Amino acid sequence: MAYEFKLPDIGEGLVEGEIVKWLVGVGDTLGEDQPMVEVMTDKATVELPSPIAGRVSDIRAEEGEVVPVGDVIIVIEDGSGGSAAPSEVTKSADEQAETAASSEPEPEPAPTPVRAPAPKSPTGRVLAAPATRKYAREKDVDIRQVTGTGPRGRVTRENIDQFSGAAPVPAATPIVALETDRIIPVRGLRRLIARSMARSKRTAAHFTIVEEAHVDELVRLRNVLNGDLREGETKISYLPFVMKALVVAIREFPYLNASYNEELQEIILKARINLGIAVDTDAGLSVPVIHNVPGKDFQQLSSEIAGAADRARAGKSTTEDIADGTFTITSTGAHGGLLATPVINHPEVAIIGIHAIRKKPVVRNDEVVIGHVMNVSLSLDHRVVDGMTGARFLARVVSLLEEPGRLIASLR
Amino acid sequence: MSNLSPDVLVIGAGPGGYVAAIRAAQLGQSVVVVERSELGGVCLNVGCIPSKAIITAAALKERIGHADRYGIMVGEATVSMPKLIEWKAGVVKRLTGGIGVLFRNHGIEHVAGTAKFTDRKTVSVETDDGPLAFTPKHTIIATGSRPIEIPGFAFDGEDVISSTEALALDRVPDHLVVIGGGYIGLELGIAYRMLGAEVTVVELLGGILPGTDPELSKVVGRNMKKRKIRTMLSTKALGWKKTGEGLAVEVEGRKGRLEIVCDKILLTVGRRPNVEDIGLAAAGVGQDDSGFIGTDMHCRTNIDGIYAIGDAAGQPMLAHKASKEGIVAAEVIAGLKSACDWVTVPAVIFTDPEIASVGLTEAMAAEQGIETGVGKFPFAANGRALTLDHAEGFTLIVAEKETGTVIGVHIVGPDAAELISEGALAVEMGASLEDIALTIHPHPTLPETMMEAAEAALGHAIHIYQPK
Repeated sequence: MAYEFKLPDIGEGLVEGEIVKWLVGVGDTLGEDQPMVEVMTDKATVELPSPIAGRVSDIRAEEGEVVPVGDVIIVIEDGSGGSAAPSEVTKSADEQAETAASSEPEPEPAPTPVRAPAPKSPTGRVLAAPATRKYAREKDVDIRQVTGTGPRGRVTRENIDQFSGAAPVPAATPIVALETDRIIPVRGLRRLIARSMARSKRTAAHFTIVEEAHVDELVRLRNVLNGDLREGETKISYLPFVMKALVVAIREFPYLNASYNEELQEIILKARINLGIAVDTDAGLSVPVIHNVPGKDFQQLSSEIAGAADRARAGKSTTEDIADGTFTITSTGAHGGLLATPVINHPEVAIIGIHAIRKKPVVRNDEVVIGHVMNVSLSLDHRVVDGMTGARFLARVVSLLEEPGRLIASLR
Repeated sequence: MSNLSPDVLVIGAGPGGYVAAIRAAQLGQSVVVVERSELGGVCLNVGCIPSKAIITAAALKERIGHADRYGIMVGEATVSMPKLIEWKAGVVKRLTGGIGVLFRNHGIEHVAGTAKFTDRKTVSVETDDGPLAFTPKHTIIATGSRPIEIPGFAFDGEDVISSTEALALDRVPDHLVVIGGGYIGLELGIAYRMLGAEVTVVELLGGILPGTDPELSKVVGRNMKKRKIRTMLSTKALGWKKTGEGLAVEVEGRKGRLEIVCDKILLTVGRRPNVEDIGLAAAGVGQDDSGFIGTDMHCRTNIDGIYAIGDAAGQPMLAHKASKEGIVAAEVIAGLKSACDWVTVPAVIFTDPEIASVGLTEAMAAEQGIETGVGKFPFAANGRALTLDHAEGFTLIVAEKETGTVIGVHIVGPDAAELISEGALAVEMGASLEDIALTIHPHPTLPETMMEAAEAALGHAIHIYQPK
């Protein structure tokens, strides 16, 4: 008897999912609960297990296809006799014949890989022992991005540790000399990013304000807190401070924590403050969300960020991980340039870019001194937030970061 | 009964395949290895190992010839090839038998037969008991390479032979003509000269050992001349025929055509990957422009679940590269994050004297626009080399000028092949000239030349005079 497996609603209110990868082929024998297919929804990828044991007799959705919830994607023969169960989605005889004929589409083989030439020049080479290079691979660190602190710029194991604990930075494009043009189908996460970024740029009236924050106090405070860490506690990055400053400022400027509904021409002010954190992964940008930020302390935030970022990099974000963000932070870190014009995470109305803290000459009491300076860029949807409001919000965030004492006093 | 759906099926049990199999088994995979010939592949059976056995014997024979120099008086040594071949076979058997034992201990199944993909997921193996159809989770192609022929010279196993037959001759030829002056031809040519044959080397290009730095090959060329090996460069071998006097090889060089009469023709003009008969098209596996199977840094081909290593997967065609790739492929299959990320693959040539090389030469560095500083130290100034009565050649270190980072080490001289591993470690670790110069090297040993070459590059070698 044939069992027709329909794409289930795997997230709340899901309407469609993309078939990322079939883990079984026509003719394969399946056990109950054996994973059959990887399906991507929003930004989470889930494996769907087989509900029964049997043999795959038909696969009706190709990899890369976006399938509406409720469509049959695979047919499993359970081996028992009897007629096929009446299905809700009955295909016409013609359609069925057509599907049968192309039942096992031979996937196009990938292009023949060309071994990137081994690093030929020591100047182009990363100075690191073979064991260190291996360690970097294990930590998913692209060693070419790591600044070595050893003699002659040698990259040490400690450098890898520091780097992998640091804020996510964009992956360098692998240095592979292409001999011919390569066509890369836009699938999966890349397609989601392309769609949502283009939609954001199409709908929101983007504008960006940039401010610099003098964060000497914050640097000192963070060093103190990290010096006091107890066994098992996560090192605190600057992100929790930024998150807490945002919470204070958002409460004063609720229009920044909102979404814009084009269809209904409505602005929805959000009661919850759920902050998305942009994370760079091998597959592309992912934005895990830290929920209920006001209710969490620094240590909780630090470990939640680390956990969500790890899951995102491993491609194992859960649906909860990426749902219900109200405002997004993109922390560009050391490789993010001086300024940026971040693209708003639709349907939110604001995104803040946090840039690297650099030592710079600053004027204090009419004297030039060395100070820690961090640039902050804020992109807003002008349909919802006007320039003056945005500038005041940003000034508030900056003042809280410059005077952490104020931040602590403002926390409820 | 064979496990027809192992985690890993390895095609070929050479130094790439058998190492991959053992590593995969260590990592908990079920492994089947298909081999159409002997365990150990070309390397153990008809390549690296047997040639080194013969070279050892040949060098001893030559040494006995001038033992009187050390006050040891012996009569003239004679050679029994059958006895030598028997000893060589014993060495080979011990090594290949060792692989069999390792396979058994690891629970690796060895299937004797010829493998071929019939589609992306199926490998059919012809065995004496009929065909078997394997559907492994992962397949590693480790089919190796074979010698190539040129027009006018087809291997017949008797008159025109490849390195395989040259390692099992029942007598030393009177006159051996070696066509192809690459490392295989010269290793065997020099060995047979030492065993008493007259040897002529015919090379199409303008120098011996193409691809090797001429500064190194020059030393070997000089020694060949001393041994009265005739070397004909820029000379093309056209064909051969049997005459009353023996085999007449027709060649054409700068001075026109001529015939060389000999009794054995050894053809060593290169090797090509064994990729034609393994069903690559049926599996959809892609090849590069030179016919090698295309792979990435993780030994993956373009087809999921199919890997390729060793000679079948590209240059350099060296056993140690194949073994390392075998380990990478097995680890990648087991989910480890391994990659072929080495900086250099060492190359060793067992001529007399030996040549060994890692990393960049001065010329290669110059091509890449790297300013270099070099240090060179002759074995003639090394105590151990002199007491070994083997003091030709030198150790050369190439470093990046600005930082002193060692980027190449090149040795021609006694036991160069044994000495190069220190250079390989230095290049792989990114050691500096000072790191090597400041490391105490025991006296009296050949590796002292490495230390002194590093000192020479820094301008203060002790045992050679370097004017300021």
